[in-house]
Amino acid sequence: MYIKSRNLLLGHKIAVNKTEKYWKGLEYGKIYKTVCECGREYYPPQAECSFCRKETEWVEIDGYGVVETFTVVQSVPSGFEWIKAYTIAIARFGNVRVMGWGNESVKVGDRVRAYTQKDESGVWKVYFEVV
Amino acid sequence: MKIGIIGVGCSKFGVRDTTIQELAFEAVKEALDDANITQDDVNISVVGSVGTRNYELMPAVPVNEYCGFSGKGPIRVESACATGSSAVYTAYASIASGVAEVAIAIGVEKMTEVETPVSLAVGGRAGNYLWEFHQYGTTFPAYYAMHASSHMAKYGTTEEQMALVAVKAHRNAVKNPKAHLQKEIDVETVLNSRVIAYPLKLFDCSPISDGASAVILASESKVKELGADAVWIEGIGYSSDTSNMTRRESFVGLKASVEASRMAYRMAKIDNPVNQLDIATVHDCFTIAEIIAYEDLGFCRKGEGGRFIEDGESDFGGKIPVNTFGGLKAKGHPLAATGTAMVYEIVKQLREEAGKLQAEIKNYAGLTHNIGGTGHFAWVFVLRR
Ligand SMILES: [Zn+2]
Repeated sequence: MYIKSRNLLLGHKIAVNKTEKYWKGLEYGKIYKTVCECGREYYPPQAECSFCRKETEWVEIDGYGVVETFTVVQSVPSGFEWIKAYTIAIARFGNVRVMGWGNESVKVGDRVRAYTQKDESGVWKVYFEVV
Repeated sequence: MKIGIIGVGCSKFGVRDTTIQELAFEAVKEALDDANITQDDVNISVVGSVGTRNYELMPAVPVNEYCGFSGKGPIRVESACATGSSAVYTAYASIASGVAEVAIAIGVEKMTEVETPVSLAVGGRAGNYLWEFHQYGTTFPAYYAMHASSHMAKYGTTEEQMALVAVKAHRNAVKNPKAHLQKEIDVETVLNSRVIAYPLKLFDCSPISDGASAVILASESKVKELGADAVWIEGIGYSSDTSNMTRRESFVGLKASVEASRMAYRMAKIDNPVNQLDIATVHDCFTIAEIIAYEDLGFCRKGEGGRFIEDGESDFGGKIPVNTFGGLKAKGHPLAATGTAMVYEIVKQLREEAGKLQAEIKNYAGLTHNIGGTGHFAWVFVLRR
């Protein structure tokens, strides 16, 4: 025998003040990383260096990346009901790796260009196009 | 300082129609009986539960109360899928510090109270929510699938080799009455099952299970006083890695695994694990994870994990039998119960109480390897009787 619990709906407001430049940048087709004078580079970007504890600088990522790994998600989690399947890839751009959605034919070793786009649920993110 | 395990218990894993506290009690009851002590002999309890999928969001106190430990802790711990091991460590540390002589580590998880898409969405939050799941929908199968893609591209590891991990797990689980999936399968079953996150298919993935397990630890003097046949914790290793997968050094192995195992090996004076250990239980939440574990733990060279399973080296009679009770893959992977169930398995094996699944024991030494997330946490224990 089972009893159904009272529903609990969790929706959070996430403070992104320190990374606002990144989130705004996505809307203009820009993808930012941050770099610290100690030489460390951060992607995802963060406004301060975890190690030397200084403020970091914002630098745009451009050029081509190389796909290091990928998967095609066919068992979709809640929150993504609006899509049947999607390809997640991770590509290296210089000293940082970037996660993004690609198309199904992406393979390890492919050269890609990154662009930004809003998905059907209204979230801006990085996409890869094989070149 | 020697600390011994004097009692172990484990519930049946699977879809269980009990509350979380009733489930925990099954394991605790068995562990107390096994140690031949009562709740009065226990100084402190540690309750490990990830707890985000069951209706009781903060389950430590209800669990502790039902198990008869009110007033003794509980210390609640959470380290994703490695929660059980951090519970054992916390119990160990409380004895090592002198505040307790006998401590119990309970790992319990109810995962089947929510629907599968919800479970996937909760699991996907075990990495870095905002920068990965929120944007890209990184489920847990997806994370390990990316390790698999990378391993396949770099070392030529095949889907057939991964399937062999599942075949071995199911074969063993059939003989383990506490296992969730008790059905033999073959390579074709795995290859023909539906894709969850390419290249991982349904039978490459551990099931969504409920379960509990418990481990009772005691100081050396208490072990002597009780006249217990203890299994000693000889080595403990731990490490961790970045929450973001994009910040990892590589995807073909788990750095935290390598570091944790080297730490445990140093402490236990192991320099040739395959020769010095009789048995191991490794974190095979997905088939690729077991192949990577062989390499990270030094059972074979990097890139040769696929061959290791193909050659039968991790089966009974091989170099080192791995996951003899069916592994996470077939025994089940109720997150927090996994680390404590690994200790349960090795203790049973070292006491030669494993029945039809008994491995040959020569050195009386075994290993547990428990990963939280995709190498977000790593714990390795070396146990000796
Ligand atoms: Zn810095």
